[in-house]
Amino acid sequence: MQFFLQQCLIGLTNGALVALVALGYTMVYGIIRLINFAHGDLIMLGACLALTVVSALGMAGWSGAATWLGIVMLIALCGLFCGAINVAVDRIVYRPLRDAPKLAPLVSAIGVSFIFMNIGLFWLGPADRSFPELLPATNLLAGEGLQFTMKDLLVLLVVVPLMIALTVLVKSTRLGKAMRAVSQDPTAAALVGIDVDRVIGATFFVGGFLGGAASVIYGLYINTIGFQMGFQNGLYAFTAAVLGGIGSIPGAVVGGIVIGLVRALSSAYVGERWTGAIVFAILIVILVFRPEGLVGRAVKEKV
Amino acid sequence: MKPNRPATHDATGAVPLRHWVWAFVCERWDLVALSVLAVAPLMVPALGGALGGQVTTLFIYCILALGLNVMVGYTGLVHLGIAAFFGIGAYLFAILTVPMYPFQMRFVTAAAISALATAGIGLALGAPTLRLRGDYLAIVTLGFGEVAKVTLRNLEQITGGMKGLNPVPPPGAGLKVGGIDLGLAFAIDPRWFYYLSLAVLAGVVVAMRRLEHSRLGRAWVAVREDELAASAMGISATRVKLSAFAMSSAVAGLAGCLYAASLSTTADPNAYDFNRSIMVLCAVILGGLGSIPGTLLGVALLVGFDTVLAPWADSAIQQWNINPSGSSLLSFSGWRLAIFGLALVLVMRYRPEGLVPSRRMAAELHEGHA
Amino acid sequence: MGLAMVAGCRPADPTLVKIVSSLPRTGSAKQQSDTIVRGIRMAIEEAEGRVGPFRVEYLDLDDSTAAAGQWTSESEAANARRALQDPDVMAYIGTFNSGAAKVSMPILNLGDLLMVSPANTAVGLTKPGLGAPGEPEVYRPTGRLNYTRVVPADDLQGPLSADWAKQRGVKRVYILDDNEVYGKGIADLFDERCRELGIEVLGHDSIDAKAQEFKSLMASVKAANPDLVYFGGTTQSKGGQLAKDMTSAGIGAILMVPDGCREQVFIDSAGASNLEGRCFVTFGGLPPEKLTGKGQAFVERYRQKFGELPEAYAVYGYEATCVALKAIRDVGAKDRRAIADKALAIQDFDGALGRWGFDANGDTTMRTLTVSVVKGGKFEFEAVLDAAAEPVAP
Repeated sequence: MQFFLQQCLIGLTNGALVALVALGYTMVYGIIRLINFAHGDLIMLGACLALTVVSALGMAGWSGAATWLGIVMLIALCGLFCGAINVAVDRIVYRPLRDAPKLAPLVSAIGVSFIFMNIGLFWLGPADRSFPELLPATNLLAGEGLQFTMKDLLVLLVVVPLMIALTVLVKSTRLGKAMRAVSQDPTAAALVGIDVDRVIGATFFVGGFLGGAASVIYGLYINTIGFQMGFQNGLYAFTAAVLGGIGSIPGAVVGGIVIGLVRALSSAYVGERWTGAIVFAILIVILVFRPEGLVGRAVKEKV
Repeated sequence: MKPNRPATHDATGAVPLRHWVWAFVCERWDLVALSVLAVAPLMVPALGGALGGQVTTLFIYCILALGLNVMVGYTGLVHLGIAAFFGIGAYLFAILTVPMYPFQMRFVTAAAISALATAGIGLALGAPTLRLRGDYLAIVTLGFGEVAKVTLRNLEQITGGMKGLNPVPPPGAGLKVGGIDLGLAFAIDPRWFYYLSLAVLAGVVVAMRRLEHSRLGRAWVAVREDELAASAMGISATRVKLSAFAMSSAVAGLAGCLYAASLSTTADPNAYDFNRSIMVLCAVILGGLGSIPGTLLGVALLVGFDTVLAPWADSAIQQWNINPSGSSLLSFSGWRLAIFGLALVLVMRYRPEGLVPSRRMAAELHEGHA
Repeated sequence: MGLAMVAGCRPADPTLVKIVSSLPRTGSAKQQSDTIVRGIRMAIEEAEGRVGPFRVEYLDLDDSTAAAGQWTSESEAANARRALQDPDVMAYIGTFNSGAAKVSMPILNLGDLLMVSPANTAVGLTKPGLGAPGEPEVYRPTGRLNYTRVVPADDLQGPLSADWAKQRGVKRVYILDDNEVYGKGIADLFDERCRELGIEVLGHDSIDAKAQEFKSLMASVKAANPDLVYFGGTTQSKGGQLAKDMTSAGIGAILMVPDGCREQVFIDSAGASNLEGRCFVTFGGLPPEKLTGKGQAFVERYRQKFGELPEAYAVYGYEATCVALKAIRDVGAKDRRAIADKALAIQDFDGALGRWGFDANGDTTMRTLTVSVVKGGKFEFEAVLDAAAEPVAP
């Protein structure tokens, strides 16, 4: 039982991180129906910046309040960085393709992801790099016989508020309303006076900001970054977004947590070597029975 | 398919020779390309060396891309896992031919069986998932690709795990024709495989053309353009999509057979991962969806860049001693990803329908993409 | 481009001998292969770029692609064909990965081109009966030998590691591998020997080298409570990440890894504190700092030239090149078959690795295994095991 709980805890924490990345996919997909293949690699760039800043400031030597303050600053900095890159890429690459065939932006996104990877290669070098432990490895649940350290807690501490903030942003602000309008029908949105390009830009910024936050959490939680990390990261997160129902914010969260749990439990009870196959097999089965994803609503096919 | 003849008549009404030649090249690009490629090994000695092997790989990818084009180009279904079918074809072929198994069939029999079986697996995946809408179907194919890769890796008793299955015998192993041991000839001189793959590629191109204009081919396009209207006209969308799935998988499987035979091993399952699917998909889109010359050009550029140009440029840099310190900033492969990515972005920016768009596709896509 | 390719096929130059190497030069194994290439270049420089009557030219080929991030069959096959087609190439140093060797061995065998690997350790490449059915004959279509390796194969490392664990009083092990030819091969041999010795094997699982973290796996390992965790794999297949996740899961067991992890990058990527005093690394032959005679001199020169100690495989790159140069020099003619035979016949070679020779399969006769422990962020010598000297009674 304890073993099962431990695995669920790991799955939950991992899943929260996956969900944070998945939100970046779902935001962009929701508004312009683009599978943003470069999102995983954007997070890699964020992690590069985080590592550079952490090493430059010698943050591994900090402790207590300074560390926590440092982490908050780091999240803000990497969030702004990734948000800005995302907006720039949208402006330069995707905006001219708004009326192009549907697959053109997809291929461009793949292209952008290769460019990001090359930047990461020069930034980090070819080998994986260690991201220093900033938080003490105190076990918070030692009494229960479970392993749950400060950095596991950090993941939840950052991810949950960000998700709540995002939900509030989309549900109850003017910008959120505009985003939903553009997502439903860009032409009609423009007709009622919404600056569609600006709203799309803002969405890219929000998605990028979440990616930047994810990159810091990733570094602190996984402790290894490398120029190829974006791929696997993106693959699972994107799968989570689809599993939940792409375009839906609660869907991305549910999908992320499901993926995290499936990974942990299949590693524990079936074998680590089958984990990748099981996650995707479950994805296929769920989509066969619920083609609109776990949380997504069935959309009528546009004719 | 035939392009309009360029305005070739000058004031006197005579047709200048160069215009005539140009028109011929445009119209019969296929024959021109085929004859150039057929004589090339006799003229360019390098094709008897490493280059020959690399160009053979290009031909094989062309076949794979033509298979993918059936789904993505003709039928409009995004497929992110074509490499899995490529791999399944390679593994089935290996099982039917390697000494480890009792079958040890001849090349042609084994290739036919594995292509058919791959089509069967495509049907098995397609049947339950075809009702999914666009991007969801894409994700199912992506997921299938991952499942297939992990399964190939883990079913060690059958697939040899990461060791792969080897040695896959060359076509005609043990056959002697006119005093030449065919198997040995295939193993030593890459030109044999060059001609074999070129012949298969030419066959696939001819078959694809036939298909394009057949009842089935027109049904694919009808379903792509408007599934509802097509159903109203009495086309069974499910059956048409399934046939596209099967055709795509069969051609990919065939490419896999050639791949395994030319490498003499299945390679390890990582050779059939998502990266490879994406590369082929990019080649098809970059070249022009639904366009045969476009697909071939796309593969030649993208795969050629990675397998022919980049290694050549790297060794050239090394031989001219431009980069004595071995810095990755000065090596070609250091920039490979960025060049590749930039090329994708630029082509899509300036030619969103691809380099050689299919005429039907271009006309339709300009109307919007709802 | 066609023209340049044609240039590669010009007729042989009677005064020139080329040595090529085929190693992963892009992607994550680059740091290892960098040191091997340095070793190769140093061997050629020391011969002053000449061997017998010939000038020596060295060509550093890449068997990986940027897209794959690791070696690929296509690149390795292309390199092998390229070497075979160039009449000046007399030796092929490589490969790094055993999987890659399986691709190029049968190709090079057809041209009798001498192949000396500084790093392949999979047993099936040379040893009859130990690998898959049909190995190693499938790599020798002509029936003649052309492949040698200067590094001891895994049938030394895997079982001897288990013997060492037994000596240390280890009773329960958990075995992991990276599902690659090398890592899985060595882990299976370790597994087998543990069972023979009566060490309890609690579990044996394979990881996906592309996975990002192994927290769930480590929770399972922790629940099994082993004395020792063995990982058959390399730095590139996430050895470092495993060590990290092992620590954060609160596992106190010893971690044992094979020579694929014996590089500074492994310690850096795992974080020195996660390995401190509890990570043991095995290595066929002697580590750079324990070499004597020629080996010691090589290490000294390397340090002067590059300002750092060589990684373990640099010496093997150097030795492999010395072997090739010696064979070419002794034959004195550009005759591939004679050169391969000469190399295979090498006995009692006084090289950087000590005194050794090739056996009938082209394997080194060296049977020494070193165990190092990680201390203070460095590999520290722990013990030398000799296969011939002490068969441990089960």
